[in-house]
Amino acid sequence: MKKSFKSFISIIFLAMILSACALDSSSSKQSAVPEKKVNTPAKDRGVKVFKAANLSALPEKAKSRKDLFIAGISAPGGVFLPYFYENGWDGNATDPIFAPLVNLDKEGKPVGILADKWNISSDQLTYTFHLRNGVTFSDGSPVTADDVAFTLTLLHDPAYEGYQDISLAAIQGGKEYKEGKAKTIEGIKVKNKQTIEITTTEVNAKALLLLGGQVLSKAYYGKDYEYGKLDYLKDLYSKPLGAGPYKFIKYVPGQEIRYEANEHYYAGKPKTKNLIFKVIDTSTSLQLFETGELDYASFSADDDTVGQLQSLGFANVRVGPVNDFGLIYVNNSRPQFKDKKVRQALIYGLDRQKIVDVKFKSYGEVANIPVSKVSWAYNDKGINKYEFNAGKAKELLDQAGWKAGKDGIREKDGKPFVIHYLTRTAEDPIIPIAKENYEDIGIKFEPEIMDFNALVAKLNKKDYDFASVSTSQILDPSDPVEEFATGNPNNAAGYSNPKVDELIKKGLNTLDIEKRKEIYHELYKELNEDPPVILVHYRQSARAISGQIKGLIPDNYTGIGASLPNISIKK
Amino acid sequence: MKQYVLQRFLQMIVILFGTSFIIFFLFAILPGDFIDSNISLTPQRAQELKSLYGLDQPILHRYLNWLGNALHGDFGYSLKHQEKVLSLLNKYVWNSFFVAIFALILTWSIALLTGVLSAIKQYSWFDGAVTFLVFAAMSFPSFFISLLFIKWFGVDLQILPIGGMIETGSENTGVSYLLEVGKHMILPVTILTLLSVGSLTRYFRTGMLEVIRLDYIRTARAKGLKERVVIFKHALKNAILPAITLLAFELPGLFSGAIIMEQIFNWPGVGRIQLESVSFRDYPVLMAFTMFLSCLTIIGNFLADVTYAAVDPRIRLR
Amino acid sequence: METQSLLVKQQNSKTIVKSPSLWKQTYLRLKKNKMAMVSLFFLMFMFLLSFIGPYFSPYILDRTDVANMNQPPSASHWLGTDNYGRDILTRLMMAGQISLTIGIAAMFLSILIGSLLGAISGFYRGIVDLVIMRLADILMSIPGLPLLLMMGAILSEWKVPAEYRLYLIMIMLSFVGWPGLARLVRGQILSLKEQPFMQATEVLGLSDRRKIFHHLIPNTVPILLVVATLNVAGSILSESALSYLGLGVVPPTPSWGNMMDAANNFMDFRKRPWLWIPPGTAIFLTVVSINLLGDGLRDALDPKLRR
Repeated sequence: MKKSFKSFISIIFLAMILSACALDSSSSKQSAVPEKKVNTPAKDRGVKVFKAANLSALPEKAKSRKDLFIAGISAPGGVFLPYFYENGWDGNATDPIFAPLVNLDKEGKPVGILADKWNISSDQLTYTFHLRNGVTFSDGSPVTADDVAFTLTLLHDPAYEGYQDISLAAIQGGKEYKEGKAKTIEGIKVKNKQTIEITTTEVNAKALLLLGGQVLSKAYYGKDYEYGKLDYLKDLYSKPLGAGPYKFIKYVPGQEIRYEANEHYYAGKPKTKNLIFKVIDTSTSLQLFETGELDYASFSADDDTVGQLQSLGFANVRVGPVNDFGLIYVNNSRPQFKDKKVRQALIYGLDRQKIVDVKFKSYGEVANIPVSKVSWAYNDKGINKYEFNAGKAKELLDQAGWKAGKDGIREKDGKPFVIHYLTRTAEDPIIPIAKENYEDIGIKFEPEIMDFNALVAKLNKKDYDFASVSTSQILDPSDPVEEFATGNPNNAAGYSNPKVDELIKKGLNTLDIEKRKEIYHELYKELNEDPPVILVHYRQSARAISGQIKGLIPDNYTGIGASLPNISIKK
Repeated sequence: MKQYVLQRFLQMIVILFGTSFIIFFLFAILPGDFIDSNISLTPQRAQELKSLYGLDQPILHRYLNWLGNALHGDFGYSLKHQEKVLSLLNKYVWNSFFVAIFALILTWSIALLTGVLSAIKQYSWFDGAVTFLVFAAMSFPSFFISLLFIKWFGVDLQILPIGGMIETGSENTGVSYLLEVGKHMILPVTILTLLSVGSLTRYFRTGMLEVIRLDYIRTARAKGLKERVVIFKHALKNAILPAITLLAFELPGLFSGAIIMEQIFNWPGVGRIQLESVSFRDYPVLMAFTMFLSCLTIIGNFLADVTYAAVDPRIRLR
Repeated sequence: METQSLLVKQQNSKTIVKSPSLWKQTYLRLKKNKMAMVSLFFLMFMFLLSFIGPYFSPYILDRTDVANMNQPPSASHWLGTDNYGRDILTRLMMAGQISLTIGIAAMFLSILIGSLLGAISGFYRGIVDLVIMRLADILMSIPGLPLLLMMGAILSEWKVPAEYRLYLIMIMLSFVGWPGLARLVRGQILSLKEQPFMQATEVLGLSDRRKIFHHLIPNTVPILLVVATLNVAGSILSESALSYLGLGVVPPTPSWGNMMDAANNFMDFRKRPWLWIPPGTAIFLTVVSINLLGDGLRDALDPKLRR
C-alpha cells in the first residue's frame, strides 16, 4: 500500500535505533552463514513452502487460542488515520481498519476492493470509479462517492502536513484549491452516490493507486472540516473508523493493538473474531514465535533462521523473494565517476557474489536489474551479468586513463583514485569485501559509518562518492528508476542519459502493462550498459505461520493484509 | 543553610535557561531534520512541510518561540506521534520509572551487603567470587546477558515471559493486573540490577576498606565491642558517605529509561521514545524530555550537596 | 594519630622522601602481593601478544576467505574463523592494540581531568567551586546521543580521516565526561579538608599545590582506582557502540568490542560461541587484572597499612 516507503524508513530507523545501542539484529543483519556447506542455489521467482511436520509440537499458548490471531508489529506510534500518520508501522496498523478503492494483488496488478470496477478514458486522463453495492463503514453507514471526494479534497488542503503528495496525481484544479483560488476541486465530480469521476491533467501510470486509496468517512472525519484547519482531526487519531475487515478496539501504548471482526465488511464478516498486532522487537521475534506468543512472523531469510523455523515442526514456512533490492549509489557528478567505463570497471571489480553469500548465504542473489524479481517488469534477457572479473576491471580503468601510480594506487592527472564509502552499519559486508577487491585493482577504499539522517543529508547534497542503501518496497517498476532522469530533484546519483530520460517518461505515459513491460526492458538494457549505480542484491524473506492457522497467504504487496478476512484457526 | 539553599536555587534557574539554549542549539545543528528523512518527497513538498512545521525559521527565533510556549507549559505536539508531548511522555515514563525504582532498591541493597561483606573478608573466597561475577557482568554487553536470560527463563524453562508488560490480549485489572505486570517485570529488573550492581559493589567495598583501617575502628575493637556492632554501627555510616553523591546521580536515571533493556524486552518505556525522537529529529519530544532530565540532574546534584553537608557535619557550607 | 604523625614526619624530612625510593618501597610491597603480580604479568603478556603477536600469524589481517567461513576452532585456526573466513586469533590480537590503548588512555585522561577539577573545586571553594560545579551541572544534563551524533557530523564535515576519529572522540568524551568523577572527588576533598592532618599542613604553611597534590589527591586514590578500573571496561565496550555512529574504529579494523557485536544475534550467540567468547574473555581478563593490580597498588600505596 502507499505507506511502503514509510515502512521502509521505519525499518531502517529501527535498524539504526538498534545499532545505536550496539544491538543491531535487525532483519538486514542476520548475515549468518551455515556450517554445512550445502550449495543450494537461490530459489527462483517462486515461493518455497516448508510444511509443518509435527503439529503436536504446537506450544500450549498457541493451542489455547481459538478465536484470536496474533501477528507482530515493530513500533506503532498511535496515529491511526491513513494519510496522517508519520510512522510506517501505523500504516500497517491502519490497514485492517481502512479499505481502499483499489489495491494491488499478489502480482502487483490493481484489483478492486471497495470499487467494483473503474474505467479510464481513452486519453488516459479521466478515471471513473464505481463503488460496490451496499458497502458500508464499520458503523453501518454507507460508503459513498462523497466520501471519496472528501478524502481527496482533504489531501489538497493547504494545512495538510502528511506524507501523501497528491499533487503527483495532477487532479485538474487541485492546485487552485490548495492555493485558495477555487472553492472546490474542478476535476472531482460526484456522478451519483456510487460513481465518481476524476479528471487529471497528465497521464501517469501511478495515478490509479493515488486516487484509489483508503476512503475516509465524510460524516465522521469531515463534520468539523473547515478549509485550512485540520487540527480537529488530531482528536480522532485514536478513534479510527473505516470500511476494512476489522474494526479498532483498543491500543495499549507500546504493547498491542486490538481489533474485532467488522460484521459490515463487504465480503462478509472475517472468519476469526479477534485480531491483535503485538509490538515485538526483531531481536526476540523468533523466540516469541517459538513459544507460541505469535501466530505469524516474518524474518530475513538465511540458513540459520530457516533451519530453526523448520526444526520447530509446528510452523508452515514460506520462503520467497522480497520486493526490493540493495544498491550502492555512485556519485556520477564527480569527475572520476563520469566515465561509463569507470563505472563498469567498478562493477566488474567488485565480488558481489561474495557479498551476497556472506550476507544471505543461499538466500540471496546478485542484482543486475533495478527492480525486484517479484515485479511484472523483471526481464533479464540480454542483460550483462557483470560477473566478478578483476582483469576486465583493470583493463577498463586503463582505458579510462587511470594508470597505476605510486603505492599501487591508480592516478589520473596526478590525482589518486580514492572512493569514500558511506554506510549505516559497521556490519555491512560490503566494507571488508569492497576494500579488498578495490585495493586489488589499485583503488583506495575508505568506509565511513553514519546515521541514516546524516547519510540522506549527504546524498541530497551530492556530497559523497559511494553510499549504500536499500530501496523501499517497489509498488510500481517506475519507483526505483524515475530518479535517474536528468534533472529529477531526487537524482542523488547525478546521472544523466537522454535515452534513459525518454524511456522513463514513456514508461509512465501509458497505462497498458504489456506496453510498459517492453519499455522497461529497453530501459533496463540501457541502464545495464551505462550503469548509474552499482546494483548489489536481491534478498528473500522467511515467513512463518503457526500450523493451526488456515487461509493465510502473505504476499509481497499487502503482506498479510489481503488474507486477513480469510484467516481461520483449526480447532 | 537557608541562604545557601536559596542561592543554589537561583543558580539552578539560571543554569536551566543556559542548558535549554545549549540543548536546543545542539539539536538544531544536527544534520538532517524531521522532513529530510522522508526521501520520497519532492523538494517543493518538502519545502511546504518545512514551513508548516516552522523548520525554515532561524534557530534563535525557533528557540524563543519554544521557550515562550514552554514557559506557559505548552511543549507542543510530537511530530512523529502527532500527540501532545506531555501526554505522550506521561504514557511511557512511569513504565520506565517502576522498573528503575525496583532495580535501584535491589541494586543498593545487594551492593551494600556484598560490598561490606567482601570488604571485611578481603581476599577471601567470597570476595573472590564477588569480584569475578562483578567483572564478568561488566565485560559482556547487556544484550548478551539479556539474550541469555531470555533463552533460559523464557524459551527453555518457559517460566517467565519473553517480553512486554502484559499477556497478549489480557483484560486483567486490579490485583491480578499488578501480578501480571510484576511477573513481566522480573527479567528486566534483574538485568538492570545485574548491570549496575557491580560498580556500586566496588564503591562500597572500597569505602568500607578505607574505613575499617581507620584508627577509631581499631579503637572500637580494642574497647572490646562486638565485631558486628563495630562494622554496622560505626564503620558503615562513614563508608557509605561518598555513596550519597552516587545516589543523587541516580535521580535522572529513574526517569530516563533503559534503552537496550526496553528494546529487547519490548518494555513500553520512555527510553524507546527518546531514541526515536533522536533518530527522527522529533525535536519537541527531544527538547521536553531532555529538559525534564536536566531539571532532575540539577536537582539531584543540589540534593547531593545539601545532604552531604547534613550528614557530614565537618563540612561547612560556606 | 598515626596518619598525622607520619605525614608530619614526612614533611620534616622534606627532601628525604624522594620519588625513586617511594616507588621502590611501593614496588617492594607490591611484589609481595601475588595476585597483583600475576595480574601485572598478565597485562604485560596481553600487550606483547597484541603488539608483537600478529607478526607471527600466517594470516593476513583483513583478507576474507569465503571458503572458510564460520569454522570452529581447529589446528589451522586456533580460535576458528568469523563470518568472512578471517582468522579470529589474528583479529583478536590486532583488536587488542586498539582496545588496550583506548581503554587505558581514556582512563588516564578522564581520571586526570576529573580528579584535578574536583580537587581544585573542593579545595578552593568560593567562586572557583561555583563555576566548576555549575559547569558540571550543565555538562551532566546534556544528553549523550545527540552530542555524539553532532560530533560525528562535524568530524565528517571536516573530513577528519577515520583512523583518527576514535582518538579525537575519546579526548572529547573525557572533556565532557569529567563531572561525575569531579563531584565524587570534590565530596571526598571536602571531608578530608576538615580532618586534623590538613590542619597540620596549615600549621606547616605548605603551598596549596603541595596540599592538593601530596595530601589530598593521594587520599582519594582508592576511589580513583575503582573509577579507573570501571572506566577501562566501559571504554573498551563503548568504543564499539561509538562505531555505530561513525565515531569508533572503522571496520574492517578489529576491536574487541566490535568483534563481540558482530555476534550479537541469537543464532550466532547460540550456535557459534567461538565468535564471542574470545573477545569477551579478553575484555574480562584485562579488566580483572587491572582491578587486582589496582587493589594491590592501593594496599601498597596506603600509608595506613605501613607498619
